[in-house]
Amino acid sequence: MFQSRKLSIIVRRLLQAIPVIVLSTFIVFGLLKLVPGDVAVTLAGDNASDARIAEIQHIYGLDRPFLVQYGSWLWKAVHGDLSSSLVSSESVLSSIERCLPHTMLIVVLAMLLALVIGIPLGIAAASKPGSWTDGFVMTIASLGVAIPNFWLGMLMVAFFSLDLNWLPATGATPISEDFWDAIRHAILPACALASGGIAEVARQLRSSLVEILSSQQVRTLHAKGLPPSSILWRHGLKNVSVNLLTVISLLFNRMLAATVVVEAVFAIPGMGNLIVNGAIHRDFPVVQGVVFAMVLIVVTLNLLTDVLYSILDPRIS
Amino acid sequence: MTNSNRMVGMLSRREIMALAGGAALAGMTGLPAFAQEAAKKGGILKVAAPANPSSLDPATGGAGSDHSILWTMYDTLVEWDYTTLKPKPGLAKWAYPDPNTMVLDITKGIKFHDGTDLDAEAVKFNLERNRQDPRSNVKADLTSVASVEVTGPLQVTLKLKNPDTALPAILSDRAGMMVSPANIKALGNDTNRKPVGAGPWKFVSWADNAGIVVTRNEAYWRPGRPYLDGIEFSIIPELATALRSVIAGENEMAFSLPARLKPVIDRAKNLQVVTAPTLYCIQLYFNYARAPLNNVKVRQAVNFALDRQAFVKATMSGLGEPATMTLPSSHWAYDKSVSTLYPHDPAKAKKLLAEAGFKDGIELTIGSYNDQDSVRRSEVLQAQLGAAGIRLKFTRGTIAEISAQFFATEKKFDVLLSAWTGRPDPSMTYALGFDKGAYYNAGREADPELVKLIQQSRESEDLTERAKVFAKIQRFIMENGLSAPIAFQYELDALSKKALGYKPNLLGKPKFENMHLG
Repeated sequence: MFQSRKLSIIVRRLLQAIPVIVLSTFIVFGLLKLVPGDVAVTLAGDNASDARIAEIQHIYGLDRPFLVQYGSWLWKAVHGDLSSSLVSSESVLSSIERCLPHTMLIVVLAMLLALVIGIPLGIAAASKPGSWTDGFVMTIASLGVAIPNFWLGMLMVAFFSLDLNWLPATGATPISEDFWDAIRHAILPACALASGGIAEVARQLRSSLVEILSSQQVRTLHAKGLPPSSILWRHGLKNVSVNLLTVISLLFNRMLAATVVVEAVFAIPGMGNLIVNGAIHRDFPVVQGVVFAMVLIVVTLNLLTDVLYSILDPRIS
Repeated sequence: MTNSNRMVGMLSRREIMALAGGAALAGMTGLPAFAQEAAKKGGILKVAAPANPSSLDPATGGAGSDHSILWTMYDTLVEWDYTTLKPKPGLAKWAYPDPNTMVLDITKGIKFHDGTDLDAEAVKFNLERNRQDPRSNVKADLTSVASVEVTGPLQVTLKLKNPDTALPAILSDRAGMMVSPANIKALGNDTNRKPVGAGPWKFVSWADNAGIVVTRNEAYWRPGRPYLDGIEFSIIPELATALRSVIAGENEMAFSLPARLKPVIDRAKNLQVVTAPTLYCIQLYFNYARAPLNNVKVRQAVNFALDRQAFVKATMSGLGEPATMTLPSSHWAYDKSVSTLYPHDPAKAKKLLAEAGFKDGIELTIGSYNDQDSVRRSEVLQAQLGAAGIRLKFTRGTIAEISAQFFATEKKFDVLLSAWTGRPDPSMTYALGFDKGAYYNAGREADPELVKLIQQSRESEDLTERAKVFAKIQRFIMENGLSAPIAFQYELDALSKKALGYKPNLLGKPKFENMHLG
């Protein structure tokens, strides 16, 4: 029963993913074509002429109708071919294979930081609502939400890299090449990215914990004589785990998007960097490829969240 | 347009230093000493490059920022002198036995990185490909060439349709970069990702938007060169980040930095700063094929309303030269008499507008880019022209978007605030920007007199003769106000104390051939 329900969730979600992917890539493609500017002009280079631009449009099939161009991209994508960059002719798949690990590393590291720091802060604040600790944690949390991550990133580079020389200011090392060096490069960007996450985890955890801890159910537990620590850990946290999961999954998606800015500040050749460069040159196969990959990641993540929901709380189907 | 070749200035190093001012002097003390220092061989130079190359195949690429990277792998048939940009022999010497014939004599014994010979057949192969391959972006540079013939094992003869003395300069650019024919035959246009040239370094790897690695060509034809074992480029388009990477010691050099970062370089104690004049000209492009800019008085009014001196101070921290034409004062074809045509004179501008029928001033639509530097420029411009009754209505966007709207079929905006990056030969600048039907001539119209002059400028081999024709062209363009040049931007580079031997050139695109590590 349990198994088949989980299976049906997975199948349903996977089916839902198909229109999401088609629609999102279609919209992005449309936007790229609607916005003025043409990759053919970039390709024609310094000595562009009207004739040369027309010639290039023809060579690359950019003069075909909009739907034909999209259709041919989609047809190839369905067959596992994400085409090549029109500008540099690198295959989009290999660009993504190279860039994705950099992005995932800082996002995962930022997520870990957000949880390792945010959860204790949230618990500390919730266990004594209205106390000095609570006020302190909530102030920090508000700051974390308010401070733009790129600005924080620049400050951290100025202090930790340029003044103290502890961590590298820019760049990234592939994790497959040198694990510790990759982590060293990822620490500052992950911290910049995590600031908002820490704040959000702490705030959300606090508010849902406070709600649970002041409920009648918990009052009964107190009356039964259970020690406060056991109430907090066994009953409080277990009840907020579903909320926390929602926060994590939303946060993960948001962090993925925020890497666009953070990667620029730290010169990390990740997915954000890839899509920005692609968009600037109207290099649509690159942009489409990144969107495709990101949608896949987000859909998979949401799917995982749904499955975890049903494990944590069997009432959810 | 954001790219390409800038050209020569004849400023001496001393003058450059004087121009750069006292603050820069301190940082530049390393420079004059370079000549005396014995260059040490070995070491890897790490460089922050501002842009991913559009291609590593010179024929199919397009961006002017490519050159610094292409030159590490490809040598050119013709080269130029760093300080004068006058063409000089590279892989080959050239001669014009008659106006319609150009002979190239190739240096003996040069080999491509794959071991094949760089001989007359290889040069012919490259020139034919550049001229005819559907994907070649340099076809337009070689339209004057009627045929390419092998007239000896190391001699190629170009038959020309019409005299073209801009060819040496053209062959110092993309069209003269020699690619291994064997590599092209094997890979076709994929040579872009696996380039094989005959330059001082060999290609190792290229990861888009991340980095490029080149390593020493042990069989390089110039004895004792190159000094560096290799170069590792990190591609960092965010230039403040690129500078931070040099301050933090992760790279040895960052180039093409904006003037606003000068104070940051000066504050960092461990850096050398290099500034030098370039051909990069911030200017206003006009669409003069339609109202209101089809009226010469309106175009002249804009030119009189500009305070170029103040513009350099306000937007370039003084690291620039006011532009009164499309060539800087140090250029061999500069004509001083043209430079005095447009003193800053708002009253005159207002008078001209009134004569043109705009007594209450005029509103012009203008396209501009949305990066920090462009926004600052547009604000200064708005204030300056506003004082003369010219109200600018700005639309801002990315370079690709705005420049296409102005130059391509849409023909939006009366004016475009952009830059011209210069070309190895001035005739290219005029042909691309002002000729009939030229892409960078938004209205596509041109006066027959100007068209004739542009043709004439390529007829004589003698530079004094050519300078006379260019003087006529410049006077025509400026008297008719076909554009409004504002200022030449200086090159600004930050180098660590270890990176030695760097010499700026007037093109403003770094070459690394003289560099070594201390």
